[in-house]
Amino acid sequence: MNRIKFIDRMAAGKLSRREMLASAAAFGVGLAVKPKLTAAAEVLTCLEWGGYDATDYFKSFVSKHGAPPNFSIFSGEEEALAKVRAGFAADVMHPCNYSVQRFVNAGLAVEIDTAKLSNWKDVFPALQTADGVLVGGKVMMAPADWGNSSIAYRKDLMPEDFAKNESWSIFYDDAYKGKVSMLDNEVAISIGLMVGGMKYEDSILLVGAALEEAAKNWGAKAVNVSRFLWNDPSEIQQGLASGEIMAAYAWNDVAKNLNKEGIPVAYAKPKEGYFTWFCGLTLLNSGKADPALAYDFIDAWLSPETGKTLIASGYGHSNIKSFEISDPADVAAMGFTDPVAHMNSAILFKNAPDAVQAEWNKAWIDTKALKQ
Amino acid sequence: MNPATAKLSSARRNVVFPAWVKGYALLSPALLVMFGMLITPMLALIVTSFWTQHGFAMDHTLSLGNYWRLIEPSPEPTTWMGIAFPLAYPVPAILLVKSLLMSLTATVAVIAFAYPMAYFLAFRVTKHRGIWIILLTVPFWTSYLLRVFSWKIVLGYNGAINTGLKSLGLINEPLSFLLYNPIAVTITLAHAWVAFAVLPIFVSLDKIDRSLLEAATDLGDSKWQRFRRITLPLSAPGTIGAALLVFIPTVGDYVTPALVGGPGGTMIGSLIQELFLRQDNAPLGAAVAIVTMLIIGGLVGLFMWLIGYRKMREKMP
Repeated sequence: MNRIKFIDRMAAGKLSRREMLASAAAFGVGLAVKPKLTAAAEVLTCLEWGGYDATDYFKSFVSKHGAPPNFSIFSGEEEALAKVRAGFAADVMHPCNYSVQRFVNAGLAVEIDTAKLSNWKDVFPALQTADGVLVGGKVMMAPADWGNSSIAYRKDLMPEDFAKNESWSIFYDDAYKGKVSMLDNEVAISIGLMVGGMKYEDSILLVGAALEEAAKNWGAKAVNVSRFLWNDPSEIQQGLASGEIMAAYAWNDVAKNLNKEGIPVAYAKPKEGYFTWFCGLTLLNSGKADPALAYDFIDAWLSPETGKTLIASGYGHSNIKSFEISDPADVAAMGFTDPVAHMNSAILFKNAPDAVQAEWNKAWIDTKALKQ
Repeated sequence: MNPATAKLSSARRNVVFPAWVKGYALLSPALLVMFGMLITPMLALIVTSFWTQHGFAMDHTLSLGNYWRLIEPSPEPTTWMGIAFPLAYPVPAILLVKSLLMSLTATVAVIAFAYPMAYFLAFRVTKHRGIWIILLTVPFWTSYLLRVFSWKIVLGYNGAINTGLKSLGLINEPLSFLLYNPIAVTITLAHAWVAFAVLPIFVSLDKIDRSLLEAATDLGDSKWQRFRRITLPLSAPGTIGAALLVFIPTVGDYVTPALVGGPGGTMIGSLIQELFLRQDNAPLGAAVAIVTMLIIGGLVGLFMWLIGYRKMREKMP
């Protein structure tokens, strides 16, 4: 009744401006208070590698909370780091053994309370204390996945003798111009130096004129020879499937996924060496969501079910039990069931000091920008 | 309501505000938005550009270091496309020149496409004009990102053009030069901005007094002479406006190069984005952004002065 009276009086022009404002203010106050009462909880935000945003990797999180977190995809940890430092409010991030230190140095990483992770007890003991999981004696990364970085190539399109002489040199060879794809990452310069005969460990420490020279000699070549620099594995998966590219820097899953589609793709063991890494999840202090959500998400990544999915696509996992419940054929195809043996089997990615890393970031971006 | 308040409110109603107060009162919502959304971030950008990034630490003392880096000379010039850039950090300068050239090409292409379309609308379409104009805006009913992405599908290795040419038997191998280069970026930009250009050109063509055209014909002008002496000059302000509307925003675009450009199609906007979000050097990114703005502003001013835009406006009815 009151409301109708108000509207009638307003329509008849019988309301003073003061009455009108008072009513409007009352209504406005009501509006301002209302969202606070019904505000939805902040959604978890995760900075993630392309492909790892598939719900298969954190099923228990989805079944508990009804929806996956928000994802932002990156192609290198330096990109993710800069994004968080520029103000992106991420709760969780997926760094690797060599990059955790950077997040700790930037004051962004938070120690993980392993007591809150139900799957922690089943993590390989060697991984629980590995360099990169522990930083300064604190657990800064919950290790989850481990795997390789090498070359995935089309057996039917590459020259026949490549299989006998697998080499990273194709990314720096004009004969392969427009037929290969490198990751959009400064590692392209390191790999070039390895092709030139340098050791990986030495290459990542180059600075100043030596780095500039390497960027010009190797980085620019990788940029020029690549059809495109990839950020998301689906790009190379499509490229390899259609024949747009014959070979690409790739992680374990690409060859496996394409073989399932009946496309003849091999995963190389280049003569210069190939890489191993182990990655995991780090809590960031930039997030807005409830930390309990972040712990649920990390715990989901450590679960044996996630491990089974990873093992089926060619990766390793930190949980001992995931090897027990996996298809024995998949485990056998991996070659390793022990992460330490895996790390020692090839070149483990390493981190460079902050100042050196900053120089590399600049060198890579400049190299890309100068492509003619 | 008691008589006293009624008297008071009617007295209030009679207060006359000066015209400029009324004007600013009407403008105030727009001014507030401008101040909050444009001027404040701009000031923040300017201040940031005088800071210095040292690793993870930000040095807040004001310095011209970032600007100096952009023009710092070097005895060893970097050559790009045959042009020598004698700079210690030549990347921003090279990308700026490249972006300006790409945007200029896109702008010329846009005007070349948009002008005939606008001409047709203004002079040939008599019925259902509204429908024609709505049809022009149809591409804008979907997001810019999707439009750029659909160009990736059109130009791609297994895209519409390649499969089309292949099925016609014109090519055996898909053409790989269609995507991931400056040409792809220019094509995409040109398509994305055509509709923005048609409308201002259409308005200026539509405003032309038809009796002037009749008079020209009566006095013996051929169709071409009539176009050159009457239609073109009278539609010039709209056309120039349209060209600026396309040129200015496309110079700084970064989504389009990111999707269809590949490393070869990088523009200055991509560098600014990477400085902020990959290289973690916001102050340098801010300096590059400001210099870009100033250069675009300067070029536009120079262009307007060269063509005598003010005189042109004065002649308009």
